[in-house]
This record gives sequence, C-alpha cells and structure tokens, in this order.
Amino acid sequence: MEHSNKTEVFRQGMIIFIFLAVLTALEFFVAVAVGAVVLLAIIAVVKVALVMYYYMHIYKLNTKDEQLDRHSYEYKLNTRRLGLWLFLLSDTFVFGGLFVSRFNLLGLTRPDLNQLLGLTVTSVLLLSSFFMNRAEASMEHGDRKGFIIGIVATLILGVGFLAGVLGVEWPNAIRAGVTPSASAAGAIFFMMTGMHAFHVLTGVIFLSIVLRNGSRGIYSPEKHWGVEAAAIYWHFVDVVWIFFYPALYLIGKLI
Amino acid sequence: MKKFLTSALVRGLLWQAIGWLLGALFVTGIRFLMGMNPFDQFFFTEPAWVFGALVGAISFVAGTGAMSDWFKWAKGEETPEHREDPPGWEKYLNVSLDHKVIGIQYTVTALILMCIGGVFAMIFRTELAHSGLQILTLQEYNTFMSLHGIVMIVGILVGVAGVMNYLVPMMIGADDMSFPRLNAFSFWVVPPAAILLLSTLALGGFDTGWTGYPPLSARAPVGMQMFFMGVAVAGWSSILGGLNLIATVLRMRTKGMTAFRMPIFIWAAIATSIITLTATQLIGLAFQMVMFQRLLGMGFFDPAKGGNPILFQHLFWFYSHPAVYVFVLPGLGLISELMPVFVRKPLFGYRFVAMSSLGIALVGFLVWAHHMFTSGMNEYLRVPFMYSTLLVAVPTGVKFFSWVATLWKGKVETPTPMLFVVGGIVVFLLGGLSGPPNATVATDLHLHDTYWIVGHFHDTMFGGYVFPFFAAIYYWFPKATGKRMNETLGKIHFWLMTPAFLTLTLLMMRVGLLGMRRRVADYDPALGFDNYHLIMTIAGYLIAISIAIFLYNLYMSLKHGETATGNVWNSRSPEWQVPSPMPVHNYDIPFEVVGEPYDYGLPGSVYVRFADGGQSTKH
Repeated sequence: MEHSNKTEVFRQGMIIFIFLAVLTALEFFVAVAVGAVVLLAIIAVVKVALVMYYYMHIYKLNTKDEQLDRHSYEYKLNTRRLGLWLFLLSDTFVFGGLFVSRFNLLGLTRPDLNQLLGLTVTSVLLLSSFFMNRAEASMEHGDRKGFIIGIVATLILGVGFLAGVLGVEWPNAIRAGVTPSASAAGAIFFMMTGMHAFHVLTGVIFLSIVLRNGSRGIYSPEKHWGVEAAAIYWHFVDVVWIFFYPALYLIGKLI
Repeated sequence: MKKFLTSALVRGLLWQAIGWLLGALFVTGIRFLMGMNPFDQFFFTEPAWVFGALVGAISFVAGTGAMSDWFKWAKGEETPEHREDPPGWEKYLNVSLDHKVIGIQYTVTALILMCIGGVFAMIFRTELAHSGLQILTLQEYNTFMSLHGIVMIVGILVGVAGVMNYLVPMMIGADDMSFPRLNAFSFWVVPPAAILLLSTLALGGFDTGWTGYPPLSARAPVGMQMFFMGVAVAGWSSILGGLNLIATVLRMRTKGMTAFRMPIFIWAAIATSIITLTATQLIGLAFQMVMFQRLLGMGFFDPAKGGNPILFQHLFWFYSHPAVYVFVLPGLGLISELMPVFVRKPLFGYRFVAMSSLGIALVGFLVWAHHMFTSGMNEYLRVPFMYSTLLVAVPTGVKFFSWVATLWKGKVETPTPMLFVVGGIVVFLLGGLSGPPNATVATDLHLHDTYWIVGHFHDTMFGGYVFPFFAAIYYWFPKATGKRMNETLGKIHFWLMTPAFLTLTLLMMRVGLLGMRRRVADYDPALGFDNYHLIMTIAGYLIAISIAIFLYNLYMSLKHGETATGNVWNSRSPEWQVPSPMPVHNYDIPFEVVGEPYDYGLPGSVYVRFADGGQSTKH
C-alpha cells in the first residue's frame, strides 16, 4: 500500500466510501422495509470492517520490524501505533457498555427521533471520514495542499456533525418529550449521543492541532505520526457511530 | 524544606485546591445568574462540588507538569527523549520519567493509602469490639467502612502498579517503559484521586460500601459524588498503566527473550494489564451514570423512570470481579517468581503457570454475576455463572500444584521474603477454599452478605497480594536502595502478622456462618458474638502493630541498613547480575537471553549473557 501512487490510493478511498454510502442506504432501507435486526447487525459489521481495514489500516499493526534498531523512528512509530490501538480497545469498552445498557433498558424498542436528521448526521460523519482518509493519503505523498484541504473539509464536517446532534437533534428530541430526565430511554439516548459527541469534540480539537502544525510544515511524508493518529482516532469515532446509529434510530419498535 | 515546598507534589496540591474552588465558584455563579439556589448544606451545591472536583483533579496533573511535554508537542515543539532527575530524595516528589522512580513513587503511595485504609479499619473494628454503639454514629460507621474498602482497593491497585513499573522493564532488559510520559501521567493522577476519596469525609460521607449500588447511592450525601469521581480518576491511572505495560512487554524485550523465556512475573503482569486496560472502563461508566442520575435526573437505574438498578450491578461487577484478579495475579506471579530462588529448584511447569495467569484473567471476564445471585436478576443466569466461577479453580489449582511440586525436595531457605511467600500461599489457600461455597448458588443464598464473605475476601486479598507485596519489598529493597532490610524485625513482622491475621479471618468466617451480617455497625448481644468480635479487634490491633514494626524497619534499614550491592539472594534474574542500586537507564551493557529462566540447581545452565561476557550461572 505504501508504494502505490497517490491516484490509486485516492481511487481506493473513493471506492470504499461508495461502498459505505451504499451500505448505509441499504441499512436505512432494511430498517424501514424489513426491520430485521440480524441484517442490520451484519451490515454494521461489514461497514466497520471496511473502515478498520481501508481507512484505519489496522494491518499496519502486523509490520515486521524485529530487525530494526530499537531507537529508530520506524520502530517507535510501530510502538505508538500499538499504543493507540490499545487505547481504542479500551475506549471500545465504554461504548460497548453503553450499547449493552441501551439493549438492557430498551430491549427492541426505540425512542421517537427525527429519521431524516439521523440519516443526515450519519452521512456527514461518513463523508468526513472520506476526507480524513484523503488528507492522510495526501500527506503520505507529500501533497501539502491536498492535506490541508482534506483536514479543513473534515473539520467543517465534524463541526457540522456536532451542530446537528447538539444543536438540532437534542432540542428536537426534548421538544418531542425525549428528555434526559423523563425516562430511561431519554437518559440512554442523551448519554450515548453525549459520550460520542464528546469524542467528536476531542477529535475536532486534535484535528485543529494537526492542521496548525501541518500548515507550519512540521510533518513530512516520512514522519507524520500526528496526522496518522488523528486519522485513526477520527475513523474510530466514525466506527462507534456506525453501531450507535442503528441502535438509536433503526432497531426496534417505536416506544 | 524549600525543596519540598517547590516540589511538583506541593504545586499540584495547590493547583488542585485553586482549580476546585474556581470550578465550584463557576457553577455557583451560573446558578446564581439562572436564579437557582446557589448554596446548599455543604456550602456549595452538589453540581458545584462535582464540577470543581473535576477541574481540581485536572489542575493537579497540569500543575505538577506531568503533561507539559504533551503541550509542547501540540505546539509543534520537540522535547528531549529523556530528562535527568536531580540526585537525592526530591526526585520522588517531582515528575520523573524513570520507571524505577515512578515505581517507588507508586509503592510509597500504596503504603500510605493502605495505612490510611488500615486506620479506618481500626476505627470501626474498635466500634465492633462490643455490641451497642460506643464511639461512632451509624453514618460515621458506614463512611469509615466504605472508605476502608475503597482506599484499600485503590491502595492495592497502586501497589500492583508500583511493583509492575519497577520490575517489568528491568526484567525484560528494557531501559524504560514504552511511553515514559504516559507512565508519569498515570502516577500523577493518583494523588488527586486519593484526595477526592478522602474528601468524602468532609462532605457527609457515603454509606453504600465501596460498591455504590443505587438506589442508595442515588440518595447518599454529596460525599458519594466525590467517591465516584475519585474512583473514576484513579481508574485512568490503571487503564493507562495497563496500556503502557502491554506495549512495553510486546515491544521492548531484549534479544532472545521469547514468550516462554520471560520471567513468570511478566506473564502475570500482562494478564493483569489486559484486565485493567479493558474492564476498568465499565466501572467508570457505571459510576458516571449514577453521577448523571444524581445531577440531571437521568433515570438509568430508577425503576420509576423505566430504569433498571440491576444494570448497575452488571456494569459494576464486570470490572469489579476481574479487579480482584488484578490484585491477585501479580501477587501469585511474585510467589512463582520468588519461590525457585529460595528452594534452588526449577519452577515446576513454567508453561502451565504462564498460561494459568492468562486463563484466570480470561475466565475472570465471564464470572461477574456470581455477586448477584440474590439480586433478583434473571434466575436462568445463575447456573452458568456458577459453573464459570467454579472453572476459575482450575487454573488457580495449576498454580498451587506448581508451587507444591517446586517445594518438593527443594533445599528450602527461609529468609523473610520466603516466609511471606509461604505465608501468602497458606492464606490464599484458605481464601481459595472458602470461595466455592460462595460460588455455588445453593450455599451462597445463605452466605451472601455475611461475615463469611468478608473473611473469604480478606484471605484472598492478603494471600493474593499483601503477603507477596511484603515479600517483594523485602526481596527487592536491596535492589532499589543498595541496603538490606533487617532480618530480625522482618521475622517479627511476619510471625506477629500471620497468626493474628488467620485468627481474624477465621473468626470472621465463624460469625458469618452463625449469621453475622456484613456492613452493619451493631449486632444483638443475644447472638453471643461479643467475645468473637473482641478477639477479632485484638487481632486487628496486632496486625497494626506488625505493620508499624515493618514501617520502622523500612525507615531504619534505609538509614542504617547493612550495605548490599551484590546478588543478595543468589538469583538468576538479570537485574541481580548488575550492582545495586540500578543505574538510571538500567543496563549499561545489554544482555541476551540464552537459556531457561528458572533452571536453579542445574549445573552449567545460563539464563542471560551480557555483551561483555558476564553471565548468570548462579545455581
């Protein structure tokens, strides 16, 4: 993957994005037409697998580097990657706990939420992952302008997602009677979206730092761990939403 | 004195106080502007206390400077990889990146916390010596009892981190942990967490025990929130410490150290770290959910709003059961590590012992609901959890088998560390054998929430971690200081503590079987427990005296101990092949692993060979 040229990498990112978009549309259709939880789960797992492999490059954890000098940048880079993935594994347990709590409290029912809005914010986050991937690929191939455009697009979409969830969805839900204190359903909805939004917010801060440092020319095609880490983290936040979106909006009967 | 006042610790405490105050004032101001009641029973309102506590904890860490390198990286500045510590004691009060300094910081913090927890125990143990209430009110009793639990648990967690931090990089031949700054950060979040826990005393206390079950925890005084916050902050230490340790072991082992040639303690440390890295998040989440239920009325655990209190218990025990393996696994690893040294024989069944640590950790994830047999959860869950719990006895049995077979026909020497190793095995055996009756549904329905459980739990904790912890301190003290601890005082410590402790826990089990409930301040004199409780209290004081002797020994040995810079215990482990105390970046000359770690007594066997030709052939 490292040796392929930029256009190829861009094309691959685009193809994966199209797959993800189609799967999301399919997911929505399945939920409306069939409502089969198993199908929804399968689609979510496929989406997550695509993101983890093609956007988060999980296979890089398997880099063989026993021969490298322990103090070399390359060796340390792989250690940092491992550390970040371990952190994400740990974080998965927070979201996993929330996910399980949702099913414990609500079973196969769901709160009444604005479907159009849900689909919109999901698409916004998905699109941001696409631009994030493009920004990272640009940096890898020394295209600083492409990198900055990609990061800025990701940031705008990320802030857009936050505005959509916190600024539109939350007031909407409260107006519709789904408030944090009214019922356990409202509580878990606000807890899940809130915890996720908190991670998006930290991702936005992280990306801003990367944007600032990147525009000052601190990263190079060989050394840009900050960019890679921000990208992996950003895609992880997307992965969480890939599970949360069907769990909150699509699965089960309306309460 | 000036060095003390300008240390990172004092700076952090100051920042925490200021941060706490500013955070509380901020919320109070907002409440005032919104026309809400700005003040309450404990001066500030509950949201103000909570927000202040959060700001205060973050301020502490920022104030110490443990995060300053990260801030520099965010600004795009480079920082040097290593930082030199000042010589002398003040490096222990400042932010150091050296794993040995951090290990000692952790260990000393652990001893302080465990002493505080012990004092709490003595206070309510005194109350229990006689039926009727003499010195404490009910609320005070509950607070001391709850704080004893959580302070000891955090203390042991910190102690585990201390031993692992100090030993692991040394044993695998690394110059430090993988992420030294993260390591420092993990330590420096512990002091503010400890302060949060202790602040509960001033804020009305909390009466739920360390488990914090709602609905009681949703109604307890503000102190409850400080407890939740303290545990959540301490949890981050545990999570990040586990992350760092796994990365270190996977990435920093010296040449030739394959998986099955690592010291056995490393396996235990890895198994422990897998649990702390993952499961800890669930207790943090469960506690956060109660905090939000209290602050915002979110009804996760409130049946009136469609919530489910049992859910809390599931989330809580998903961490808190594996947590006991976090304490016990390193302890049992230390036992397996030290025993071959003192019987001069190979460790029996190395691979099985290594796998048993992982086995306990993994099975440990599947047993949590055995704490909930009487909770009203779905009944069909009881039997699978009973069997999965009994399954834990299998890998634990492997360890016991290995110890017995290692002892068999060995040339047993009994200096103080070995006494604690053997004592730990005996006590842990008692704890282990008293476990299956609690795991079995039929008997647990009777034993649940009685002193039997308290006795069982204290046996597993003392045998599983406290005894091995003392063994480790006596054993590695020369490595850390270049001096040896006093043997006579060490033996007095052991021979005073062990019988007293056994008396205490066996009597706990006795009164438990007779129907004494746990977590109660008083009991009916007609039950006839008065004499038992008096003996237990006396035994408790004897333990306290033995700990005082230990602390005196620690201090005196540090000041006037016999110099010991060589291989004091005739060990094969790499850290003993170089002079004590250890140089700053561990090994000036790298070494390579060329043989099996525990081939004691086999002529000509070599474990490590240094690049200059030195090797470990002690047998």
